[in-house]
Amino acid sequence: MAIKLYDYSLSGSCYKVRLLLGFLDLEYERHPIGFYPEREHRTETFRAINPLGQIPVLEDDGIRLRDAQAILCHLANKYDMSGLWLPRAPELYGLVMMWLMFAGGELMAASAARLHDLLGYDLDIETARRNAHAAFRILDDHLTRREIEGGTWIVGDHPTIADVACFPYTALSNDGGIGLEDYPALRNWLRSFMHLPKFDAMSGISEFA
Amino acid sequence: MAERPDRWIGVALDRQIKPGSSNPAIVGGNAIAVWRAEKGPANVWEDRCPHRGMRLSFGFVRDGMLRCIYHGWGYELGGHCASIPAHPDLAPPKTICANVYRSEERYGIIWTNLSESPNAPLPDAGPDQGWQSIRSVYVARQVAAVKGGLASFDWGGGRVEEIGEGAALVNAGGLSLLIAIQPVDESKTGLHVVAKGEGAKDAKARLAWASRLERLRGSIEAQS
Ligand SMILES: N[C@@H](CCC(=O)N[C@@H](CS)C(=O)NCC(=O)O)C(=O)O
Ligand code: FES
Repeated sequence: MAIKLYDYSLSGSCYKVRLLLGFLDLEYERHPIGFYPEREHRTETFRAINPLGQIPVLEDDGIRLRDAQAILCHLANKYDMSGLWLPRAPELYGLVMMWLMFAGGELMAASAARLHDLLGYDLDIETARRNAHAAFRILDDHLTRREIEGGTWIVGDHPTIADVACFPYTALSNDGGIGLEDYPALRNWLRSFMHLPKFDAMSGISEFA
Repeated sequence: MAERPDRWIGVALDRQIKPGSSNPAIVGGNAIAVWRAEKGPANVWEDRCPHRGMRLSFGFVRDGMLRCIYHGWGYELGGHCASIPAHPDLAPPKTICANVYRSEERYGIIWTNLSESPNAPLPDAGPDQGWQSIRSVYVARQVAAVKGGLASFDWGGGRVEEIGEGAALVNAGGLSLLIAIQPVDESKTGLHVVAKGEGAKDAKARLAWASRLERLRGSIEAQS
């Protein structure tokens, strides 16, 4: 049965899923959600699909999943025969999970800032930007240590779903008025990611790096 | 108004400005693009495309040229516009030129002097060879507070000595740290740190120094 993604092209969270589908060469059916200005994700019809009223949602063989990070785990676990995107080695697995949680947690402050600037969401933009900077600093400190060790990716020697989950809102930070001047290692990691084979850009991210 | 005094300011570690990349930085309130062609030294330009003012730090490098992300105008080393994709047959007028600042690579650090008539010498930290990069840190405090923090920090027995306005040397147990001090704006300062000596050769030791610099940042920011 085909994979189906409830998707919105400008959503960074949906972009996480589209990126991995691309890296894994998976065919899927795209079900576009009128996120803005229609707010289709808040309708009763969509809440029957995801009671949280959020995208992305993925359906695969009778399983329905919400949350980009959970979806990345599902796709890598089921379809990535190389095991590289979701390494099972004990010294890597927990770290990948840890940075996935960070992508769905602290880093989402950058998403909030972007929703404010791009779609006029009513939220405390100063707090969102401050929290996004705090998260970027943590990721940049980590990537700085990885650089000193001779590594490029968040965990291990190959990009993982942790990189996929952290990439979109970092790369889209400028949409939320957040500059990357203070994060050299993070900028270099973004550029390496954009040079991956099968990397696909989205609106707000340059296809050139 | 952003100031452009005649002095050399470290803006990045050489190793972190990758070949074929353009990077943003702010120096005394001036936005700059620090970019490097596929090979060769780093360049420091005003972060502003002469066409419509887009930031050149968002640009990308192709065939030795920095290309603006907006309409793709391409600028050669030296700043001249050499390519306008919308008019491939037109030789761009020589007057279209990005604003180029002086830049130098020394001690593993990229330095710039934004002054219109730069005469000041680079900070003198001895021979150029043998410096290893540790890391850059950005501290959410102005320069004076950061210099105070450098002086009072526990360097493990090391002494801090300023060399000119824009740099400091720390000597700690057979190892020298050179710290370039970048005034970003009224509320932020960048530190670009390289090390030389036996204790800087292996990655473990450099990791330990990187952690120590995170503690330095934390200790300065903890002061009100
Ligand atoms: N935890 C979810 C959050 C996804 C998310 O924030 N999606 C946004 C679109 S990018 C959304 O649907 N927001 C609707 C809302 O919360 O009102 C995930 O990681 O997938
Ligand atoms: S603004 Fe740079 S090319 Fe148009």
